[in-house]
Amino acid sequence: MASKTPAATGRLLFTFKKWYYNACGFNKLGLVRDDTVYENTDVKEAIRRLPEPVYNDRMFRIRRALDLSMKHQILPKDQWTKYEEDVHYLQPYLKEVIRERKEKEEWQRK
Amino acid sequence: TPVFLSLFNLKRRLYVTQAARKAEVAEPFKFPPQEVQVTKLPSGLVIASLENYSPASRIGVLVRAGSRYETFDSLGVTHLLRLASGLTTKGASAFRICHGIEAVGGCLSVSTTRETMVYTVDCLRDHIDTVMEYLINVTTAPEFRPWEVSELTPRLKVDIAIAQQSPQIGVIENLHAAAYKNTLSNSLYCPDYMVGKITPDKMHTFVQNNFTSGRMALVGLGVDHAVLKQVGEQFLNIRSGTGTIGSKALFRGGELRSQTGGSLVHAAVVAESAAASSAEATAFGVLQHVLGAGPHIKRGTNSTSRLSQAISKATAQPFDASAFNATYSDTGLFGVYTISQADSARDVSHFHYAVLPLTQLKAEYLMSVENSEGLFDAIGTQALSEGTYHSPEAITQRIDAVSSNDVVNAAKKFMSGKKSMACSGNLVNTPFMDEI
Repeated sequence: MASKTPAATGRLLFTFKKWYYNACGFNKLGLVRDDTVYENTDVKEAIRRLPEPVYNDRMFRIRRALDLSMKHQILPKDQWTKYEEDVHYLQPYLKEVIRERKEKEEWQRK
Repeated sequence: TPVFLSLFNLKRRLYVTQAARKAEVAEPFKFPPQEVQVTKLPSGLVIASLENYSPASRIGVLVRAGSRYETFDSLGVTHLLRLASGLTTKGASAFRICHGIEAVGGCLSVSTTRETMVYTVDCLRDHIDTVMEYLINVTTAPEFRPWEVSELTPRLKVDIAIAQQSPQIGVIENLHAAAYKNTLSNSLYCPDYMVGKITPDKMHTFVQNNFTSGRMALVGLGVDHAVLKQVGEQFLNIRSGTGTIGSKALFRGGELRSQTGGSLVHAAVVAESAAASSAEATAFGVLQHVLGAGPHIKRGTNSTSRLSQAISKATAQPFDASAFNATYSDTGLFGVYTISQADSARDVSHFHYAVLPLTQLKAEYLMSVENSEGLFDAIGTQALSEGTYHSPEAITQRIDAVSSNDVVNAAKKFMSGKKSMACSGNLVNTPFMDEI
């Protein structure tokens, strides 16, 4: 295998990620990746901490997706979420929640 | 056997004499009494410390950010800041602050007056570094995360409910609201309409504008001055300068009556007195003690108070009266606070200007600086307002310097000045301010 330059490897990885994102299919329902994350206790706490506008947007997207799924439809292609536009809005809050939980556990152990 | 026993005893006796000789030779360690050291850093921060050889140290950050500096759209923000001292900061999470301080047996407390906010930690001398870190975090780098701030709303409501149970607090807050047009009229407690509406943004703005090093003092009891100085230089100069200048307090002399029913009437009638830094302030302090500032014997009859003597001639029903004296940096209030039965109409009595017991004021001041809280308060407020510390001897000299003329002038100023009044209770027989 010829060694690929880092730039080429980066572009390949990006292409793969993009293909995988589209293949997942939630973007056809207008969802964003963080809307679909499984709600364990950490995620529930992170969602509780979302600022109100972000939370409302999330609720809207989930409701729209549920409605489409009930009707067995998907959005028109121009309304599908694009890979480049996907914002991982929950990650900062989730990271903080996990860090706090780990700190508590660390303290209990000592 | 006897031989063995005597040898054993011999060894023990020799050891005892050796130990006794060592004890004579070693000198007892001397603890020379130390003076309060005050340094003012170029950033404006004042550092004051006293080495009192106590096993427990007390460190505090005093900030000139009391309720008088609240703006009109953020009334009550100091109340919320009082409750928010344990929230997450940039360097430590709320969990860590709470458990960290608890683990070393320390205690973090906040108190506010109308002019200052005081953050205090006490702990054992060995753990100063740990608690100092948390104290610096809390005063300079709070984060006010929205979900943590909204969790404070129930505590805010409880605080307000407790304050409303006490008629004295109600009268004093109303008095200030009636007496001043701005600044000092702001209540120490959050107004009802602002509960739940104070956002983290407002809190950040208040901290940015008022928690600047030019308005802070770092005070320590039982700490090394060099340590405090290093902490002050490294950590407490995040916001330099003097922040927003507060406005001058404008006295307007209004009246506020709050009808609450019940059998008692709490009333306070005051006039504007002098600022804390003026010479008249001490005269007003002496006048306060002449007229009677609380019984000197617990559960006693307060018979030496001139107010009580004068008022007992006017009514036979139980009452309580004391002189009310509040001094702020640019103004003051002096007057009379009375608690009486609802149906004995109150008149302000005539005061007798006779020879004055200055010793009572001196004794009260000296006793208040005897315990570490009083001393801490005294050092802190002086460091913050004037940048230096006056020893108790200097203060007693100041009290001695007050002549009876000064006190007579102070009393005249009270009698002739524009009055302000606040009362609460069953107000059926309470006179209005213009009827007094």
